[in-house]
Amino acid sequence: MDHRPQAWGRPRDDVYGAYDASYLNNSGPRTVTQSPVVTGTSVIAIKYKDGVVMAADNLASYGSLARFTDVKRLRTFLDTTVIGFGGDVSDMQFLDRHLKELATDESYEVEPTLDDEDDEESSSSKPGHLNAANLFKYLQKLMYQRRNSFDPLWNQILVAGLDSDSKPFLASVDLRGTSFTSPSLATGFGAALAQPIMRKYAGTEEDAAKLTREQAVEVVKECMKVLFYRDARSLDRYSIAVVNKDGIELKEDEQLEKQSWAFAERIKGYGTQTV
Amino acid sequence: MFRNNYDNDSVTFSPQGRIFQVEYAAEAVKQGSVVVGIASKTHAVLVAIKRNAEELSSYQKKLFPIDEHVGIAIAGLTSDARVLSNFMKQQCLGHRLTYSRNMPIRSLVDMIGSKAQINTQHYGKRPYGVGLLVAGVDDSGPHLFEFQPSGMTEEMIAFAIGARSQMARTYLERNLDKFKTSTREELIEHGLRALKESLVQDRELTVENTSVGVVGYVKETKKTEPFQVFDGHEVQRYLELVADDKKEGGPQAATVEDESTAMDVDA
Amino acid sequence: MTSIGTGYDLSNSIFSPDGRNFQVEYAVKAVENGGTSIGIRCKDGVVLAVEKIVTSKLLKPGANKRIATVDRHLGVVYSGMLPDGRHFVDRARDEARSWRDNFKTPITTSDLASRMGNYLQAHTLYQSVRPFGITAIVGGFDAQEELPVDGQVGSGPSCGAGGKNPDKKYGGPFLYMIEPSGLYWGYYGAATGKGRQAAKAELEKLDLTGEGITLEEAVKEAARIIYVAHDDSKDKEFELEMSWISGRDGPTKGLHQEVPKALREEAERLAKKSLDDSDDEEEEKKEGDKMEE
Repeated sequence: MDHRPQAWGRPRDDVYGAYDASYLNNSGPRTVTQSPVVTGTSVIAIKYKDGVVMAADNLASYGSLARFTDVKRLRTFLDTTVIGFGGDVSDMQFLDRHLKELATDESYEVEPTLDDEDDEESSSSKPGHLNAANLFKYLQKLMYQRRNSFDPLWNQILVAGLDSDSKPFLASVDLRGTSFTSPSLATGFGAALAQPIMRKYAGTEEDAAKLTREQAVEVVKECMKVLFYRDARSLDRYSIAVVNKDGIELKEDEQLEKQSWAFAERIKGYGTQTV
Repeated sequence: MFRNNYDNDSVTFSPQGRIFQVEYAAEAVKQGSVVVGIASKTHAVLVAIKRNAEELSSYQKKLFPIDEHVGIAIAGLTSDARVLSNFMKQQCLGHRLTYSRNMPIRSLVDMIGSKAQINTQHYGKRPYGVGLLVAGVDDSGPHLFEFQPSGMTEEMIAFAIGARSQMARTYLERNLDKFKTSTREELIEHGLRALKESLVQDRELTVENTSVGVVGYVKETKKTEPFQVFDGHEVQRYLELVADDKKEGGPQAATVEDESTAMDVDA
Repeated sequence: MTSIGTGYDLSNSIFSPDGRNFQVEYAVKAVENGGTSIGIRCKDGVVLAVEKIVTSKLLKPGANKRIATVDRHLGVVYSGMLPDGRHFVDRARDEARSWRDNFKTPITTSDLASRMGNYLQAHTLYQSVRPFGITAIVGGFDAQEELPVDGQVGSGPSCGAGGKNPDKKYGGPFLYMIEPSGLYWGYYGAATGKGRQAAKAELEKLDLTGEGITLEEAVKEAARIIYVAHDDSKDKEFELEMSWISGRDGPTKGLHQEVPKALREEAERLAKKSLDDSDDEEEEKKEGDKMEE
């Protein structure tokens, strides 16, 4: 038996043969992330007249294994912005820490002392602080810079909040730095399964501006249900956030309600069933 | 050669805890011609007296735009000011590119403050020989800051630095309560009146020797009125605002006190 | 002064024959001319206060802050050369950030004091730099409950190995003062700057070690002490700036924040009142003294 520390915990060479060091990839080019490891699935979001509603389930998968079931994929920034992460969970954690540093730097900025006499409009978007649009611009630069150094952060990100004109803001950026905005957005499977539903209610900015908060929440819940029905890497526990000028309301342990699997019987064409 | 043993460099404290090199650098600011800045609830203005080296030469620049929303007025070594100005331009541009917003004025001023402080603590460096007034608007409205060679930065309601600036400051103190609610034009007028106080006898504000810079915040549209410098004939209409005690006779050829504006201040 | 003319005081890091570094002592002189800063540590938090001498009427009132936040739970106030103080704060923020990068958890007050003490001490070692012309007071509230690791996304095991121990208490309020030499001590009440002697005398009268006073009482005492320490005859006007830090269940929820305006004004009112009262007493006394002379 080899008692040297460097051999602790290793399979015995005399039984299993020496470790195949070629797996360590000591030669050849340096490689970075080639694929995500522990992943989160869809994030969906839709604008309504005063703000944005966003949701994502609480699952982190390791391949097809439902590995962690209490993972919070909606993060907040300065009580003004919600950020939803799809894709690699460890990269999400990196970004979360990075955003926390950014928020700390922001808090160092002295709060402007408002004179008593001035009745400044009491909007909660703090003057002088980064709003959702500013933060999104930053993330977009960061993601594109990382892809250009061939070391991408393997995520699709949705950013929701208010812009400089206090209008609802929603935009997305992915691991390639591609970014766009729309009245409703979804990452991953959601782009195929949830977007068509959300577009029925908020096809244009004008339509979105007619939605009430309650309607938007209903649409998002409906989409989460469809995603749970049809996305094998999803969960029926999820987080949902509403962001508007009053701040953020984030619920992190919601249960999908009124599920009905009756439709499953009608699905035909694959699996073990015989037609 | 030296006044005492403690003023050779900026890393030596005097027995009283003073750093003479930094105090001497502050003297360089007083060699520069006077600049005045005032901020109201909606605007921040900078006004300056420009000198010319000789009658046939052009006039120096005293006001520099930094970014859409910030400008500076300088007193002291122009070349040192250009270093700071370049740095501030880069910071503002970088900030605008990454966050697509106006850089907050205080962060900007803090950065040059930190930069200047380093020069007062390391051997082989010298303090900047220039003082600045920084005027700008950001999300929290208009601001005016003073920057000193020591790295000291403070937000002011109004201020004046440079040669004979005490007179201007006295004027500003007397009218302190009016600035907050002043309009754009009133603010410029106050600035020019403060400037006038600092003039030596027989000297006038002319279109040649006066610069005016304005930056503002339009509350209705939440947009900035970009920092703009007015020189030459453009300042005529502002000069008319303060021409009440105008003397008769043609525009005076603005020969300026023959104080040097060159780099030789600390030689 | 014995130091002058010997040549041993002309550059930093040079020992005099009797083992002194005069440049550090001169840096202390710079501190002794600055506006008074104090810190009070009480049972449920820390209060920091500073006397800001109004050097010009043209300064924008209330706009120039002297107490800085480091991370979210630490406060720094300093007396002496203000640009050096800004440098100190920048460095402290860098230390707090690098601590978080390394350990994924907020830096404790004692660790920050240690790091900054080292930094100031390093500035006494070389001829190429000068010591800091400030004395800084660092206050903080280290979280008493177990904090999630930075970037944590789940709650982890609820029992067994790695499970939580909800009853265990950590942290609490802390106060340190760091001098130009790099020397630092922990304090119940700390004072530096021009009025430090008077302030120390007042701090010693407070019960900070025994039963203790509440955070709100400490705010009022801090205001009073700054008013007592202020020298009316030499300096005209001053602005009082105060900040406080409580635990998560206190008024600041574990964050370092400026004392709310209403409370500060109330504290200032009481401070002025107590000063007027004691002035009356003193006048009576003085009259008695004069008779004796």
